[in-house]
Amino acid sequence: MNASLAGILALGASYLSLLFLSAMAVEKGWVSERFVHHPTVYSLSLGVYASAWAIYGSVELASQVGYGYLAYYLGVSGAFLLVSVMLVPIQRLARTYQLTSLADLFAFRFRSRWVGTLITLITLMAVIPLLGLQLKTLGDALQRLTGSESPTLLALLFCVPITLLAIMFGARHSHLPVRHDTLLAVIALESLVKLAALMLLGVIALYGVFDGPSDLQNWLEGPGLVLQNDITRLDTGQWRVLLLLFFAAAFLMPHMFHMTFTETPSRKALLQAGWSFPLYLLLMALPIPLIVWAAQRLGVDTSLPGGAYLAFELSTNFWIDGLVFIAGLAAASGTLIIVALALAGMTLNHLVLVARPPDNRENLYRRLLWLRRILITSVIFGAWLFYYSVGQRHDLADMGLTAFVGMVQCLPGLLAILYWPGANRKGMLCGLVTGCTIWLSGMWLSLLSEMSLMELLPSSLAWLQDEPAWYVVTLIALNANILIFILVSLVTRTSSGERAAAEACSVEAVIRPQRLPLTARNAEEFKHLLADALGPDVARREVENAASALKLSPQDNRPYALRRLRDRIQANLSGLMGPSVAQDIVDRFLPYRTDGARSTDDIHFVERRLEAYRTRFTGLARELDGLRRHHRRTLERLPIGLCVFDEEGELLMWNDVLAQLSGIDGNHVIGAHRDGLPSPWGDLFKRIYDEPQDYLYKQAVTLSSQVRHLTLHRALLPPEEGDHGAMVILIEDHSELKWLEDELVHSERLASIGRLAAGVAHEIGNPITGISSLAQNLHYDSDDPSVLQTAEQIQQLTQRVSAIVGSLVGFAHGGRHIQNTRLTMLKLRPLVDEALHLIHLARSGEDITFDNRCPLEIQVEGDTQRLVQVLVNLIGNARDASLPGGRVVLDADVQENWIRLSITDEGHGIDESIRDHLFEPFVTTKAPGEGTGLGLPLVYSIVREHHGDIRIDSPAPGQAQGTRITLRFPRPQEDKPQPPQDDSYADEQNSDR
Amino acid sequence: MYIYRIMLFLVFGGYLLSPVLMSGWGVPDIAWYRPFLIWGGLIALGVWLEQKRKLDER
Repeated sequence: MNASLAGILALGASYLSLLFLSAMAVEKGWVSERFVHHPTVYSLSLGVYASAWAIYGSVELASQVGYGYLAYYLGVSGAFLLVSVMLVPIQRLARTYQLTSLADLFAFRFRSRWVGTLITLITLMAVIPLLGLQLKTLGDALQRLTGSESPTLLALLFCVPITLLAIMFGARHSHLPVRHDTLLAVIALESLVKLAALMLLGVIALYGVFDGPSDLQNWLEGPGLVLQNDITRLDTGQWRVLLLLFFAAAFLMPHMFHMTFTETPSRKALLQAGWSFPLYLLLMALPIPLIVWAAQRLGVDTSLPGGAYLAFELSTNFWIDGLVFIAGLAAASGTLIIVALALAGMTLNHLVLVARPPDNRENLYRRLLWLRRILITSVIFGAWLFYYSVGQRHDLADMGLTAFVGMVQCLPGLLAILYWPGANRKGMLCGLVTGCTIWLSGMWLSLLSEMSLMELLPSSLAWLQDEPAWYVVTLIALNANILIFILVSLVTRTSSGERAAAEACSVEAVIRPQRLPLTARNAEEFKHLLADALGPDVARREVENAASALKLSPQDNRPYALRRLRDRIQANLSGLMGPSVAQDIVDRFLPYRTDGARSTDDIHFVERRLEAYRTRFTGLARELDGLRRHHRRTLERLPIGLCVFDEEGELLMWNDVLAQLSGIDGNHVIGAHRDGLPSPWGDLFKRIYDEPQDYLYKQAVTLSSQVRHLTLHRALLPPEEGDHGAMVILIEDHSELKWLEDELVHSERLASIGRLAAGVAHEIGNPITGISSLAQNLHYDSDDPSVLQTAEQIQQLTQRVSAIVGSLVGFAHGGRHIQNTRLTMLKLRPLVDEALHLIHLARSGEDITFDNRCPLEIQVEGDTQRLVQVLVNLIGNARDASLPGGRVVLDADVQENWIRLSITDEGHGIDESIRDHLFEPFVTTKAPGEGTGLGLPLVYSIVREHHGDIRIDSPAPGQAQGTRITLRFPRPQEDKPQPPQDDSYADEQNSDR
Repeated sequence: MYIYRIMLFLVFGGYLLSPVLMSGWGVPDIAWYRPFLIWGGLIALGVWLEQKRKLDER
């Protein structure tokens, strides 16, 4: 007693204020998010496990049973070292199904609200002594420090700010699944304070009381040795049972379940806690024996009652005593806050809401929030009541072990959830009730009265008479619990709901959720239906939250998406009101259709789960999964489109090629019904379903504004034993093939025309030769200049006809003509003049002006007849396109490697749709009967023979309308060999075609 | 998954052999911090296995 009450109260108030300020700093964002979200903060927050027992109880145990105190730390460390085997599966379940407590987990797995209620009652009964222990240490420490006569009242005083903190951290928002970063950060701070205080006490013991490690070792081997012989060593059975109790506490104690599974920021953080939390516990445990030995060195009799508070004996300094008190306050407040939050949630979900389910007339969120606040307050003040009425008479070990032995009764059920799908509700309930009855009568009863179970032991168990009560009760209760659980589960029937839940929970089981159609057809109908249970506002918010989490649009009507939406809503409601109430609401208001619809396995969902868990497979399962992935990848990467429908027409697969072809991502359509697929796919698949044959050839469909020709093949997979049927459809894009086929037909027609033209040319050749001969004869038969001029013109025209017919034959034979023709140097201007002369012979276009601006000196290398043929064609087209009074300009210039000749008219131009096809045979802009469509193909053919190219601009550059045809021929190189031809321009033209 | 089995084996093996830890209290020839060294070794193994798991699942 060396401190004033006011001083200690001020110290406690300062510490709690620091928590408030820290919480505010996190809330306001004054602390970096990177720091708050660091996995180390989560690991430290798990230090809530180190309750007042770790500060005081461990010291008491160490002074009584030596290293036996380590069981408290090693048990839970074992559980965390097995994080991947034990904790991750539970965390996965809690996260997936929004299970926030042990009662939620049990109620979900065993499909009974009464199971949740029972677990909640057991937890309440078990944890109240643990909470009483926290307040007792607080009261005892205050009494020890200040000599106060009313430690219970002082403890009650501290209950008020602790309750406010708990409400601030856990009941400010109505929606529990939202993570409480502030809570994590503040509990982590409390853990740091505990650790720092204990480490400091260890240092004080080692260097303040002893003169360092060597002095300690000397003392232990010398004067201290006698004192160590007074301790009672636990026998191996007791040690192992203690380890088991604390191992189970890692996931059964409500505060540990809450911090480990509900507040987990990420899987990574949990996995890191697998080693960092045991490290934290090691550091917490390390100073304990130092404190005990230092007290012994100072002459304190550690065998007397009050051994829990030996740390106060290390010094008479106010600040060192204050340090011990703050460590105890940090431990007690953290435990009280988290246990209160967890118990409030459990009580709300499994007692209050089960007794009075929510209705749609009230503001649900507000009601839940206030209920939670009332329950948090009730839990903390209920614990104080226990301390006041019962706890004062018992030591820390009695109260703490009562809690741990009670909670360990849930261990068989929890292990069965993870590893025994065959376990059922009846077995679990029978075992649990048996175990808890033994525990209540063996330990709780002895807390309330002086009665002891030892007095009731039958003679066959007389050998246990000398063992401690906690050990005997644990052995009998747990063994009876396990035995009855197994026996009853084996001999009774398991309901189908339980089997489904067991599959969802089991670590090894294959999850095969059923696929049933829902009565609701879209998210809007969900809102409407749920409004009857939750009220319109809450229903809208819950549906929108669930749809947003799943990234579903409100219009999504895929059966698969609706089932996922239903599952998500159930999970979210489970976080809000517990799984029992959530399941009732969802079953009642979002039911499956029962109009004879058959349930099938949701293969897509199964595959997604398998993908998520693939790193956990071993051995044969891993090999099989590898094979499955290989086959799936093969199908997805297949170079033709593939989709698979189940027997009900629900889409199961939509591979990459089909996604590319259709422009529809598989994630947006998988799970949709065949009829609900976007156009044209729904109709297309309906056609192949209705088709008597297994294929549909070259179906014309419009995709991305382009007509494509698709060929579909189908294969029916009949149902086999243990498997359901499906329809596989392969989709091939035959658009290219169709185009090639059309080209082939076209080419064949051209070839026919070519052959015809050759025949016609041959037939025309003879009369033309006759006409030419007759015209020649006219030279001899007449001296009339006009007749002679006419004869001359007839001869020229017959030569022209012969040349044209020859060209036609040449075109028909694929450009062989040039091979036998000798190229000569030709001046362009006379060529143009000759062509113009021929054009003038025709009567049409007499009012068109032709302007030959070609410089006289420009020459090209070529064949006169064929180049005149080109010019006549092009000038003729320009004339035909020109309006009356129009002008056609012919110009030429020399470029570096090219001679360029342009023909520009002012006519109506060429329609864009036909421009790319102008050089194809039989394409013409002229009226039927006026053009054959062979002119420009012939021009193109001749220009290419001259290694030139041709370009069409419409409207002509610098003009509002008209067309410019530009021909380019290689520039003659008289003294040097010809440079390699640059085909880029020609290629561009070809690609245009 | 195999590394989880290693840890499972070690933890349950440790559980069975752990009573040996208690024998060090007040025994002159045994350093008082021996249980903490063994415990630290197990944590170091946990760190190493965690690194292995990260590589395995990468």
